[in-house]
Amino acid sequence: MPNRREFLTTLFRAAFLTGLGVLGGAMVLRKGKPGECGFGFDCAHCGEADKCVIPHPFESRQMVWQLDPSLCTHCGQCATACVMTPSAVKCVHVYAMCGYCDLCGGYFKPGTKTLDTAAENQLCPTNAIKRKFVEEPFFEYTIDESLCIGCGKCVKGCDAFGNGSLQLQVRHDRCKNCNQCAIARICPSGAYRKVPARHPSLLRGFEQKPKNGDFTQSQENR
Amino acid sequence: MKYKAALLLLLLLFFHGFSVKAIQRFPRPEFETAYSQPETLLPQARAEVMEVVDVVVLALSLSLVSWLVLKKRSRKGVFWMSLFSLAYFGFYREGCVCSIGSIQNIALALFDRNYILPLTAVVFFILPLVFALFFGRTFCAGVCPFGALQDMVSFYPQKTGPKLNGLLGMVPYLYLGFAILYAATGTDFIICRYDPFVGIFRMNASFGMFLFGGLLLITGIFLARPYCRFLCPYGVLLNWASRLSHRHLTITADECIRCRLCEDSCPYDAIDLPLTDKSPETRSSRIRKMAWIVVLIPALTFLGAGTGFLLHTTFAGVNNKVILAKQLATPANQQIKPEPFSVTAFRTSGKSVESVNLEAREVIRRFKTGALALGGFIGLVFGLVIARRMTGRWHDDYLPDKGHCFSCARCIDYCPVKTKLPKNTP
Amino acid sequence: MKQKTLLFGALGMLVVLILFMVKDLFLSSPEPGNNPWKYDLETMKQADTMKPAYTMVKAIPSGLQGLVAIATGPGDRIYTTGAGGAEIYDSACRLLLRFDFEDTAYALTVDSTGNLWMSMGDHVEVWNKTGKKLQTLKSAGRGSLITSLALTGSSLLIADAGLKVVYHYDHMGNMINRIGEKDPVRKVPGFVIPGPWFDLAVSPDGSLWIANPGRHELEQYRFDGQRLLSWGKPGIGIPEFCGCCNPSHFTFLPDGSFVTSEKGIERIKVYNPRGKFSAVVALPGDFDEGTRGLDLATDSRGRILVVDPVRKQIRIFVKRSTTSNN
Repeated sequence: MPNRREFLTTLFRAAFLTGLGVLGGAMVLRKGKPGECGFGFDCAHCGEADKCVIPHPFESRQMVWQLDPSLCTHCGQCATACVMTPSAVKCVHVYAMCGYCDLCGGYFKPGTKTLDTAAENQLCPTNAIKRKFVEEPFFEYTIDESLCIGCGKCVKGCDAFGNGSLQLQVRHDRCKNCNQCAIARICPSGAYRKVPARHPSLLRGFEQKPKNGDFTQSQENR
Repeated sequence: MKYKAALLLLLLLFFHGFSVKAIQRFPRPEFETAYSQPETLLPQARAEVMEVVDVVVLALSLSLVSWLVLKKRSRKGVFWMSLFSLAYFGFYREGCVCSIGSIQNIALALFDRNYILPLTAVVFFILPLVFALFFGRTFCAGVCPFGALQDMVSFYPQKTGPKLNGLLGMVPYLYLGFAILYAATGTDFIICRYDPFVGIFRMNASFGMFLFGGLLLITGIFLARPYCRFLCPYGVLLNWASRLSHRHLTITADECIRCRLCEDSCPYDAIDLPLTDKSPETRSSRIRKMAWIVVLIPALTFLGAGTGFLLHTTFAGVNNKVILAKQLATPANQQIKPEPFSVTAFRTSGKSVESVNLEAREVIRRFKTGALALGGFIGLVFGLVIARRMTGRWHDDYLPDKGHCFSCARCIDYCPVKTKLPKNTP
Repeated sequence: MKQKTLLFGALGMLVVLILFMVKDLFLSSPEPGNNPWKYDLETMKQADTMKPAYTMVKAIPSGLQGLVAIATGPGDRIYTTGAGGAEIYDSACRLLLRFDFEDTAYALTVDSTGNLWMSMGDHVEVWNKTGKKLQTLKSAGRGSLITSLALTGSSLLIADAGLKVVYHYDHMGNMINRIGEKDPVRKVPGFVIPGPWFDLAVSPDGSLWIANPGRHELEQYRFDGQRLLSWGKPGIGIPEFCGCCNPSHFTFLPDGSFVTSEKGIERIKVYNPRGKFSAVVALPGDFDEGTRGLDLATDSRGRILVVDPVRKQIRIFVKRSTTSNN
């Protein structure tokens, strides 16, 4: 009697183990659809289509959360919904897209008459944007990352009137890479998605190119 | 060539976001002064090699705890291991490389071909189960940071008794079912959403999160490991695997002398007391019971499936697409003011109401089968649990309940029989 | 007894926590979208209370993938182009012809024979009214993005937003001179073009006007590059040009009045030939939020034709008093 029980247990254990093996094998060998790397554009537009790692098995496929600025609606929830306080989402300035405008929609409150750095003229609730004169009529805007709370107010201002060089991004030095991002869950426009950890940003109008084999951000040299 | 690429990108943006925002990459001003444009630099993500470290730490911890439980029979060792795991997986990795949550990644990967499943999720899902198949729930004993945290605070554990255990023990099955349903439909990862301790691990969370985790920990002072026993969905799988375990922790190193010393040692009610007083069953009563079970299990399964099917729209109501479609269908005078962000986002996206409705209908269609399966599963589990309670097996020694035992090794310290006695002693 | 209390207390707490999860999952209703950091574009838009003197009489849905540019040609025919093709309508808005090409056209003008002159980014192509390519002018150079074209009897004027300059070509595509490059001697301040919006137009009396969006001005130039006049000032008020760089497009009515369009606060306005504000054509309420690229054209009857790239429509506005005659 105990022997029959033991035999059955062994049988079930073997079945369970086989099940896990099949599941694990399927998950490891599973291929993604070509072109579904998380960036949302097809392989032809990627400079690295030939060394793409995404559809292949046995690669790490480490993914991180990122938000796509082209889908962002500036609802302000990135500042509050993140498990981190202040949020892991902060504003990033893509200088390559900036028009260096005197009247910057992301820096000044709408309707500001005198274009100076007075605090009451500044749009940013924490005055995290610094304005510096470059040459007539251009000004450089820099974000003090330590002050930014990721509310996206300046992003909306820049998007509405300017080129959209101010963009919200998940900063991976702060992001905990939660299995389910708390912001992604409530993002009204579905702007969050997982991207390969090797290319952890989704800046708009900005090329990501490998630098000496090391995948760091670099601007497109014109 | 580079210029071509830039133009391509420009075109791409033009096509891609044409109806939304035709914003393009555009040449910067020509500066006459020696101004050099700063680079936009973003911090890198965590190095990929660290993933391997996580996996190695998991494998080593599992092996070590299994060894401590089965060979060394050392509660102290298990305790220190759980402290280490709490520090590494809890406070250092901040709870987010997690076997419990990996259920959802696997479920989503099974149903969504486009979902890219990280390999760590696969390993974290499978490895503890494999260990449980051979050595019992050693993962719970000293690797899972959730278990470790709750184990530390169970100061005055109260006995709950088999009835309450059985009743509340159904919750993890429901939790598992819903977690899979919502993950497979791409709705949400509810295990992560209601993760009670992640806020504590990060020491940085909203008040609500702290409150939830804190209250559960306070509960855990009197009701040992409340999450593990009455919520944890991964515990269900470990329970199944552990029942089949090849070698499981034994309370005593040798034969049980029925000294009753271990009876109160288990804070988790996971010791099967001897069932000696039970009179051996008659053949007719056994047959009657079997007949009951044969009828009961399919009946409950069908009942569950039917209930699930009837509730599928309620379940689907959690999905964002369904919520949006519902909001768009509400008459103007009943709409929430100011309009929810999702409605604003919909308006600016240029999508049509029909396309939203179509998506929502597709989600509900998937929920129809999903809820049916979930209901059936719950019914089946109910049936099996009842059947198990009806067929208690006679045994006259103190045994760990292999399904519910966390292999914490507390009972070992209470057993006076410390070593295997040499055989053939008179 | 005390133990029982503790046990049931703990169990009660657990049940409460589980019920909270169930309630939060199934019974929470959507919350109103309150954004404490809202960038309030709405109130600015509502400040525009002036009643438009124009009204929309027609919206032609375009079959093109993306709408970018519009022009009118002989017989008040309407020509429009953008991503992947071009369309020709007669003055009663009936589609006469649609033809396809692979690129995106960024600018369009139509000559007296009805040929389409289109910017394909860095170069200009000429297509006839049956959809056949006649001529490709040579590229303006690397980094060029041509966003506006105008034709006169002997000249082709090209606004290049990428290189921030205007070229004066002959009809064969030979460069005659460049206009608007920064030149302190001739008092030319240079164009400030932060985004791909750079328009030019030739007025009914033959003078060349170029938008300088970064300075919120319209500037008049002689064809040899001499700067003559300018007008326009920044601000969110109706007579002013809003944002960092506007107007994004402009054209002329038959009487020489300017018609301008802005992005950011989407509005179309008419200024008299001396640059004095005279009427509102359309206000932000007429467009979807975030609409940019409202290219303009006018016909001999004074109708204003607007490209709405978001709604993919050609929208036709007429003066209110003339609505009944139309």
